[in-house]
Amino acid sequence: MSTTAPKSAQPLRTRKPLRPAAVAKNLGALLLALVFVFPVYWMFSSALKPSGEILTKDPVFVFTPTFDNFGTATGVDLFWTYVGNSLVVTVGAVLLALLVALAASFAIARMKFKGRKGLVLGVMMAQMAPWEVMVIAMYMIARDAELLNSLPLLTAIYFVMVLPFTIWTLRGFIAAVPVTLEEAAQIDGCTRGQAFRKVILPLLAPGLMSTSLFGFITAWNEFAMVLILNKDKAAQTLPLWLTQFQTAFGNDWGATMAASTLFALPVLLVFVFLQRKAVGGMTAGAVKG
Amino acid sequence: MTVHSQGAATSAPQDAPPKSAGRPKAPLAGAGRTTGTPRRGRASLPSGWLPYALIAPAVVSIAGLLLYPLVKNILLSFQQVNKIELIQRKAPFIGLDNYTQLLGESRFWTVVVRSFAFTAANVVLIMVLGSLIGILLNRLGTKMRLVLSLALVMAWAMPIVASVTVFQWLFDEQFGVVNWLMRTLGFAGYEQHNWFESGFSTLVIITVLVVWGSVPFVALNMYAGLTTVGAELYEAAKMDGANGWQTFWKVVFPNLKPFFLVTTFLEVIWVFKAFTQVYAMRSGGPDRASETLPVFAYIEGQAQQHYGLAAAISVLTILMLVVVMSFYFRLILKQEEEQ
Amino acid sequence: MKRKLIAAVGVAGMMAGVAACGNGGDDKGTADANGNKTVTVWVMDGSAPKAWLDEVNKEFEAKHPNTKVKVEIQQWKGIQEKVTTALSENTPPDVIELGNTQTAGYAVTGGLADLTGDKAKLGADAWQKGMLSSAEVDGKLYSAPWYAANRVVVYDKKAYQKAGVTPPKTRDEWIAGLEKLKASDPATQPIYLPGQSWYVLAGFVWDEGGELAVKDGGKWKGQLGTPQAASAMEFYKKLQSFSTAPKDKDEATPQQSTDIVPKGGVASWIGLGWEAQGALKALKEAGKEGDFGYFPIPGKTADKPGSVFLGGSNLAVAERSKNKDLAKEWLALAAGKDQMTKYAAATEGALLPNQQAANFAAAAGSFAESMAKGAAAGKITPVTAGWANVETEPNPIKEFMTKVLKGEDAAKAGEAADKEIASRINK
Repeated sequence: MSTTAPKSAQPLRTRKPLRPAAVAKNLGALLLALVFVFPVYWMFSSALKPSGEILTKDPVFVFTPTFDNFGTATGVDLFWTYVGNSLVVTVGAVLLALLVALAASFAIARMKFKGRKGLVLGVMMAQMAPWEVMVIAMYMIARDAELLNSLPLLTAIYFVMVLPFTIWTLRGFIAAVPVTLEEAAQIDGCTRGQAFRKVILPLLAPGLMSTSLFGFITAWNEFAMVLILNKDKAAQTLPLWLTQFQTAFGNDWGATMAASTLFALPVLLVFVFLQRKAVGGMTAGAVKG
Repeated sequence: MTVHSQGAATSAPQDAPPKSAGRPKAPLAGAGRTTGTPRRGRASLPSGWLPYALIAPAVVSIAGLLLYPLVKNILLSFQQVNKIELIQRKAPFIGLDNYTQLLGESRFWTVVVRSFAFTAANVVLIMVLGSLIGILLNRLGTKMRLVLSLALVMAWAMPIVASVTVFQWLFDEQFGVVNWLMRTLGFAGYEQHNWFESGFSTLVIITVLVVWGSVPFVALNMYAGLTTVGAELYEAAKMDGANGWQTFWKVVFPNLKPFFLVTTFLEVIWVFKAFTQVYAMRSGGPDRASETLPVFAYIEGQAQQHYGLAAAISVLTILMLVVVMSFYFRLILKQEEEQ
Repeated sequence: MKRKLIAAVGVAGMMAGVAACGNGGDDKGTADANGNKTVTVWVMDGSAPKAWLDEVNKEFEAKHPNTKVKVEIQQWKGIQEKVTTALSENTPPDVIELGNTQTAGYAVTGGLADLTGDKAKLGADAWQKGMLSSAEVDGKLYSAPWYAANRVVVYDKKAYQKAGVTPPKTRDEWIAGLEKLKASDPATQPIYLPGQSWYVLAGFVWDEGGELAVKDGGKWKGQLGTPQAASAMEFYKKLQSFSTAPKDKDEATPQQSTDIVPKGGVASWIGLGWEAQGALKALKEAGKEGDFGYFPIPGKTADKPGSVFLGGSNLAVAERSKNKDLAKEWLALAAGKDQMTKYAAATEGALLPNQQAANFAAAAGSFAESMAKGAAAGKITPVTAGWANVETEPNPIKEFMTKVLKGEDAAKAGEAADKEIASRINK
């Protein structure tokens, strides 16, 4: 497990065989990994424990795993409706945000227009929006417009929640693409639209990945809005499902943790998938440079 | 929004190196602006109606779904909106009553001070630890790096509600793993140690949770950023006889300045607004001594169903945040001009 | 419906919707094109056995053709805000279950239908007086009492036998028994009592002749700074000293019935019927056999059991309901004698029905028997709109308890709590 010959991507490594330092470094990394992963491990292992072994004076590390908790968690009425709703609003919000942000950030990064600075400032300030408190204001608007229990409205709200961050991030990525590249494409006979599609867009991959991840996590986890806006169970999402195993009769911790594990899974998958592409793309660039 | 400091894996508006960076005519990868920056910016395209058309969807949506509710929220802060008014759909204007009530309360000011101290402590810890782990990631071998980044990613993906529950268990008085660990390691007094004895100790545990949950964002971004700093810069620094620390200050920091600027900005906002972690841990207790502003707003406002008051607290919160962050706005706008 | 979707698609569309709709709403009720109506009923998680609900609805739907009942089980998390907003909507749920300490708070909002005129139909004469008081405000009826429950002491028969302790009749006997239990098995807690079990404390306060809050010249004020509250707290502290439970937590965190008792090492605890059932079930799952005995919380003298808080729920009709008459019909059926009898049986007496006649014939030595005995000394929290605010976390009564248990002077801690109570209850 010790370090192999350094790659060109890690410029600070030299070939000097500094054993003690290398050991310390790897040991430290291992320890850190343990610290970060332990709560996640605890969630997952609790999901697999029989109910009596979850909260104990001396923690139980060895046990016979059971999948009952997962059965309880997914056996809830309307489970698949929640899954479907969550996917629709989350994916809808992310795609919408990418599309709208791409246009806006291109303008901000590449064009001169009146009010540009104000727009940048507005986008920055928009990230301070107190969404948790605005729930009631939003609720009153939706109620009076008869838009309660509406998935499209929920999608629209999540879209605006992630839009400022998306614009801000993509703007940085677009600004990093040299204008010369675009000009070259135009000299080669591309229209401006084609130049954008063929030259800039591919270069934005890491930015698109990272912003969609942010959007995904935000919309996927949102609880306060959907609780008040969508009281009809048919229009509810998974975060509400997560809380329903803690009842007056007692808390089904096993089911709660099983549900949390399942809930985290899509995020983790999206993450691993995007992470490889996003960071992979970046390192590739660095190596070639 | 229940998320806090969960966001993009790759860094924000720093110079992200595109994939095709190897092309000879675009030697932009890595080095960034210190090594002959290629021409960038918004010179090439004509202005006119096009930029307005491009920003229109964004502006309209933000205006409709953020600005409008925000204005409504500001109006609410001048109205009396309790349970009765909400149900009867009336909201009498009461002028500055909500504000005078708040500003006259000594508890409010205590909470304000506590919130800023809490935010400062957390952000410093997050940035320092995150950067260090990012540097460590950059120096690790492939396998170990994969192990550590996977651990970070998993911590990041864990739902906040679940992580708060697990942390409550870990530090539980009767069944806590931490108490068990202390006992096993031979420390006395951990038979039933209460980690939430005082407001301060509760905030310390919350800080552990927040830092644990936020470091991955910074560390992974830092690592991604570091890979963009070209190898030849390190070589040059080494030839000049710089040690590790000097290399960091002379080479890494200037290159990643935009990264630090933006990440710190985001972390300040996210930590300041963090609600779930603080509230779910101990409902702001014991004896309300771990309340931060968002928790205060919830307890005095939503939980008691005084929605006008809650709105007033949120307006004051934004105002304070804007004032505190104004120098940051200037810095970032200046950065903008340089580009 | 279609308009909703179209309007929501674009932001611009939504804005137009806001401008166009204003306060208006369609008043067609919830009948669909075929004239079918739906009565929506909100019940809290854990309140009603599903089989019982199904039966009620079957009977109701048979009586009212073209009508469907939709039951929606509500989670406790965030329920207050949810109910408040729901009552403000054009098509709220028709029937809502409300906690008995919360009902008054909603009655004054105008969100609940006035049921005073329907008393005969609902069979109000048969209702238990003690339960009725939480359903009325200023002489007007805003809900039908549904069920109530109070706490008793649950004890492990084996542990009591081993220590030679029998169920006590007075507080002194109770304490003496706990001393014996402690001596007989030092590894076992004679009683598990967390520091913030405030419903238990309320009973002790009433035993002393005190109150949680009283109305004084049109304003309510807290009563925790009184000598009565101090004596009550003194007794609570004595009891709590037999427990290793945390002083800064209530009985639900961790859940005493399912997280604590099944692990063993607890000779007795104070709980509700469903908690006892939950503990037995958890013990079984862990492969152990629970053998519980029950006794009412002892009073100061043997002739009277200790006062207890009578928790419970009422059923109300939303003022904005589009099917008010049907909703009242459902209420009359569900809260009527026949169905309440079945209800009491379905819960095996763990919950007291709203009328004497429906009482479950409790077996000797059962939880239900002890609970019914204790209920004779049952009381509820002050019936006023502001009380719900006092109960909301962070609950000043709980903070008061923790402070006193940790050694602070009861009068001083009580004064601070009273100040907080006054600021909340009068809003």
